Amino acid sequence: MAGVLQRTPTTPARAGVAPRRPPRRRAHVAVFVAPFFVAFALFFLAPIGYAIHQSFFRLTSSGLGLTEPVLEFAGLGNYVTALTDGAFLASIGRVLLFSLIEVPTMVACALALALLLDSARARFRAFFRVSFFLPYGVPGVIASLLWGFLYVPQTSPLIDVLAAAGLPHDFLGPDTILLSIANISTWQFAGYNMLVLIAGLQAIPQELYEAARVDGASETRIAWHVKIPLVRAPLILITVFTLIGTLQLFVEPLILKPLTTAVNSDYTPNLAAYNQAFGQANIHLASAEATLIAVMAFVISFGFLRLVNRKGNRAW
Amino acid sequence: MGSKLPRVVRMVAAATAIGLAAACGGGGGQASPAAGGDPAQPVELTFWSWVPDIQKAVDQFNAAHPGIKVKLETITPGPDGGYAKMLAAVKAGNAPDVAQVGYDSLPSFLVNGALEDVTEHARDDAATFVDWQWQTGVFGGKVYAIPQASGPMGFYYRKDLFDKWGIEAPKTWDDFAAAAATIRQKDKDAYISTFAANQAPWMISLAQQAGRQWFSTEGDAWKVTIDNPDTRRMAAFWQKMLDDKLLKTEADLSNAWYKDLQTGGIVGWIGGSWGDAIIRGNAPDTSGKWAVAPMPQWAGATTFTSASWAGGSASAILKGTDNPAAATEFAVWLNSDPRSVNTLLSAGYGWPSIKDTSQITNLQKDDTVFPFYGGQNIWDVFKESDAAVTMDWRWPPVSDALYASLTDNAKAAVQGQGTLTDAFVKTQQAMVEQLRAKGLNVVTGG
Repeated sequence: MAGVLQRTPTTPARAGVAPRRPPRRRAHVAVFVAPFFVAFALFFLAPIGYAIHQSFFRLTSSGLGLTEPVLEFAGLGNYVTALTDGAFLASIGRVLLFSLIEVPTMVACALALALLLDSARARFRAFFRVSFFLPYGVPGVIASLLWGFLYVPQTSPLIDVLAAAGLPHDFLGPDTILLSIANISTWQFAGYNMLVLIAGLQAIPQELYEAARVDGASETRIAWHVKIPLVRAPLILITVFTLIGTLQLFVEPLILKPLTTAVNSDYTPNLAAYNQAFGQANIHLASAEATLIAVMAFVISFGFLRLVNRKGNRAW
Repeated sequence: MGSKLPRVVRMVAAATAIGLAAACGGGGGQASPAAGGDPAQPVELTFWSWVPDIQKAVDQFNAAHPGIKVKLETITPGPDGGYAKMLAAVKAGNAPDVAQVGYDSLPSFLVNGALEDVTEHARDDAATFVDWQWQTGVFGGKVYAIPQASGPMGFYYRKDLFDKWGIEAPKTWDDFAAAAATIRQKDKDAYISTFAANQAPWMISLAQQAGRQWFSTEGDAWKVTIDNPDTRRMAAFWQKMLDDKLLKTEADLSNAWYKDLQTGGIVGWIGGSWGDAIIRGNAPDTSGKWAVAPMPQWAGATTFTSASWAGGSASAILKGTDNPAAATEFAVWLNSDPRSVNTLLSAGYGWPSIKDTSQITNLQKDDTVFPFYGGQNIWDVFKESDAAVTMDWRWPPVSDALYASLTDNAKAAVQGQGTLTDAFVKTQQAMVEQLRAKGLNVVTGG
């Protein structure tokens, strides 16, 4: 993620050569950063390496299989299995569709909230900022359970009201479940993303607003022509985070699965990998699926960054 | 979503935590030359289970066996992640000595090399237990697990409402469908039951009762016959009820379903014998209004047949135990001593696996259970049901995959994508592929 931050346009650095550090200083630096790198290697790189390693093996039995299975090298066999599995491919299609719904919704919500709180006429800013941010403090599992109660007819106070008013009220049907999941995600993270944007907005020099007002710009025009272009970098950041998050969709469908017939055990790629690993004890196929998900998230998010950061030829 | 840690990292972290948790509860202890042990230096055993109130039975065992000290660790139910934890612990070399494993999952555990051969310690115990249940823990003539309880099926129903609406407890499946239609006429909010597409063991029980089995062995190959005439007839029956809108389709054992039990939105349930505790615990205000009838029969059946929900549950001795003798002794006592069986029966663990139930006083008189069913001795129904469980049912070494595949396909059918019959056809194909992918020999049939 640090890479993302550095890719954002900055003022060109002063041309000049940094003074060379004496060698002794370098040894000191090594001592101080070593603990981080050791932990990083042990708890971050090693599990990833292990997962990739596992994805190239498989367990096979023979005959009736009532003897211990044998571990053998599978090459790309697990990847072939995953990529020829219709259900797994369907789950990838599903999260891509989900991204198309969720990313614009999330960015629009976060931006709208941030601009409202940043506008000159906003009252009780601190109160609203905390209220909007609060859902982020609720763990994802709890949030999904809470919304689950609101979606299930037998426990929901909402559904009777909606039904009485003649409004659609089936939150768990095959056509609406994805929107219901998007709703949970937006509720959870819009406030957090709003804070990121507010931090960006507060860094904008006030003189720009004054200049705009002198030119006779209304609050709306200031928002559109001054504020939004100047929070471009944090906007891109939250878009990428949301994109990665949607591709990794897991908790919400896992918790809603018992409540509806519309969510099955391979509803999203992550759920499919989880089901292979912990439902069917096939860690090798699960590792291959997890690796594919990571590669997909990597390609899509960096593809997006390339698209918006093309120098001199920006999309907007 | 958003900018918390990437999910994969969190999953790895969770898996690590599971590993660490497992590492903390290893089956340590010193090897002892003989079971029984020395009270001054008791043998320590670890036992993993999710059965409610099983601690009482463990305490009874510890009190009666000063030479062995069993430590219970409560885990998530096997299908919800407990089994994964056990298999991981066996791989890591710190598994508990004894663990709760369903009859349906014993073959999977065997295939994963997670079971300890305790034939020499359990040689004389076979006669204590009902034969079909004992056999679930025996592979190739070797004993790996001691049976605990089965879940013979029965029909729980709201007798007060059935009487009010003038409906008899259904004797055949046709009666069941007719009763379902009558209930819809009498009360627009009530249904006879839900079709629980989420519950593979339940659907499998229906297929088991319908007749032909799903898995058998031919030489050194598995024969997969999920798509058979009996299962197809059963599927068509339930599909017709779904088409006629006679059933709810919510998940069973879910909040919505509990609410329906409390409010009369659902007035019946084809469930296992342990289901009595579920209804009592979740709909306490309906006490005295329920009754239990035998499982409805297929028209033209000559003998009464029943089934058992996911087979039942065993105490398996896991690979790597230092004290197989003591572990076996504990598993046998837990599941056959009258004091222990009485305790477990009241906790709703299922139907005892022992042959001689004359010492099990709770089967004759139980003041916590019978009043809830209007004074009916419901165990008479389940005793008859247990005796009528079809014996030739075999579990494949891929029961997890079977469950996942069946629930996914049945959920799709309930959503209107194809029929339940199609769901079983798809499950048949998936299982053949799954077994072949594991390298096993497979033959198919219909």
